[in-house]
Amino acid sequence: MTRGVTRRPLLGLLIPAAVAVLFIALPLIGLLLHVDWSNLPSELVSSDVLTALRLSLECSIIAVAISLVIGVPLAYLLARTSLPGRRLIRGLVTLPLVLPPVVGGIALQTALGRTTPIGTVLDHFGIVLPFSTAGAAIAEAFVGFPFLVITVEAGLRQRDDRFEEVAATLGARPWRRFWRVTMPLAAPSIAAGAALCWARALGEFGATITFAGSFPGTTETLPIAAYTSFEGSGQIGMAITLSLLLLAISILVLVVLRDRWLGALQ
Amino acid sequence: MTLTARIRTQLGSLSLDCNLSFDSNVTVAVLGPNGAGKTTLLRVIAGLVPLDEGRVAVDGEVFEDTSSGAWLTPEARRVGFVFQDHALFPHLSVLDNVAFGLRARGVDRRTANARAREWLERVDLAGFAGSRPAALSGGQSQRAALARVLVTDPRALLLDEPLAAVDASGRLELRRALREHLATFPGVRLVVTHDPLEAASLAERVVVLEEGRVTQEGPFGEVSARPRSAWIARMAGLNLLRGTVSSGAMLLDDGSSLTVATDIEGTAMATIQPRAVALYRQAPEGSPRNVLRCKVAGVDPEGDRWRIRLDGPFPLVAEVTPAAAAQLRLGEGGEVFAVVKATEVDVYSL
Repeated sequence: MTRGVTRRPLLGLLIPAAVAVLFIALPLIGLLLHVDWSNLPSELVSSDVLTALRLSLECSIIAVAISLVIGVPLAYLLARTSLPGRRLIRGLVTLPLVLPPVVGGIALQTALGRTTPIGTVLDHFGIVLPFSTAGAAIAEAFVGFPFLVITVEAGLRQRDDRFEEVAATLGARPWRRFWRVTMPLAAPSIAAGAALCWARALGEFGATITFAGSFPGTTETLPIAAYTSFEGSGQIGMAITLSLLLLAISILVLVVLRDRWLGALQ
Repeated sequence: MTLTARIRTQLGSLSLDCNLSFDSNVTVAVLGPNGAGKTTLLRVIAGLVPLDEGRVAVDGEVFEDTSSGAWLTPEARRVGFVFQDHALFPHLSVLDNVAFGLRARGVDRRTANARAREWLERVDLAGFAGSRPAALSGGQSQRAALARVLVTDPRALLLDEPLAAVDASGRLELRRALREHLATFPGVRLVVTHDPLEAASLAERVVVLEEGRVTQEGPFGEVSARPRSAWIARMAGLNLLRGTVSSGAMLLDDGSSLTVATDIEGTAMATIQPRAVALYRQAPEGSPRNVLRCKVAGVDPEGDRWRIRLDGPFPLVAEVTPAAAAQLRLGEGGEVFAVVKATEVDVYSL
């Protein structure tokens, strides 16, 4: 469909479309213009930045791990079985995508806070989630894991279960089919989903700051550090450096994923 | 070894309802038009589609029996199923594909690989062990799929349209290879196809399946010469008639009648070879023959024999040379007289 009546663009659409492009591009250009390139290297390796970066990586990787362990099985059940209440579950899972992250953070607080039933039990074992690194990871997982579930489910739906049928007639039992056929075939969409989940977790702010606060070295991840240096201490230079770091990571994820993400959605 | 199947199952608009028995000493082709339920039949035998009612068993071993609730999982049936599109695992090498079944049954990797290599050699794919399935041609991937199944030593071999996903150039060679492997396979052999030629070249017996029911069964020659359904007659290129014979006249179901030369009395079927139908512009005179006034419904030029579809007392196909067609000035809607000698009507009892 490269030729046809929609081939020639309507001029009236070009102007708002150009505005749209600028709308996205201008802030990024602004950010780049304000980077203090001479101080950038030293700021990037400053202990504050490195601490936030390390914490961000730690929390986001834990978040991805949590999402994989619980998200892949859920995606499989949603895609391949006639689980009762499938639509409802799917809706519930995608809710964090549209939910304001702050609400997610507050909700986590009410469910897992120290005074809640679960919190009390965890407390008994010496585990405190709110305002801890583990809590930050959980907040990130809460916001990031719908991306994983949706991507993996789409990837699994894309293929019918024919290869599993072949494996069955060749003598493979259900678990063997799952590990040797289903999972390898779903690997591209799992990788894409994990990367999206990771990118979302890395940039997570609202739920994390609400549930875990902003304690340097414990819960102050890159985005939170960027916000506090921008808002609190007025160190706009540092905020820009941190933003630039996050932007670079985002672009990297996008480049790596472009084909896979699109592929999994088609 | 005998596979018996009493099958009743509803799948969408298809209702499969048949009783079949397949013996391991002949290759059987399940022949029928698209949507007749041929693939579903294989899937039932393999355990991929459950029965609504019935029983499937190989010798004494019950695969499924709805009356007792017996059910053997597909992986426990040891039925080799070669899918129409071959369905080689795209994430595994050709060797790993062929070794898959052995590994799944607990054979250690070294032994499994050795036996897979042996089979790759037998299907002339030794050089492709490390390749991905995507690198294989249609014929090669069919042979790899065959090897993947045969290496597991199955009790039955089910081939679904084995030549469908193969281009014409590879078909001849593949057909030869298939025949060879079918001949040496010791178990039950079933080939599903919609192509009578394929059935004739691969199998000794034919089961004709139409709309989920068996319409005819027997050696291929018998089925094609004495078809019992319009579909198989058309496939064999024959005119098929049905009616009641009494003292040399066959009264057809549509009310018309035909002079025949037979001793058979009662309900019967008859075939007429298209080339035995002669066409004239004027009604000819003469002894025991049938003269049918027809309109030309269509002309299908096919090489040096043109097939003329006729609308007369009953639909009829005639075959003439292009020269004769030109001489008769055959065009759609034109009137012709079709003449069939009584001795050219092959009558057989139901």
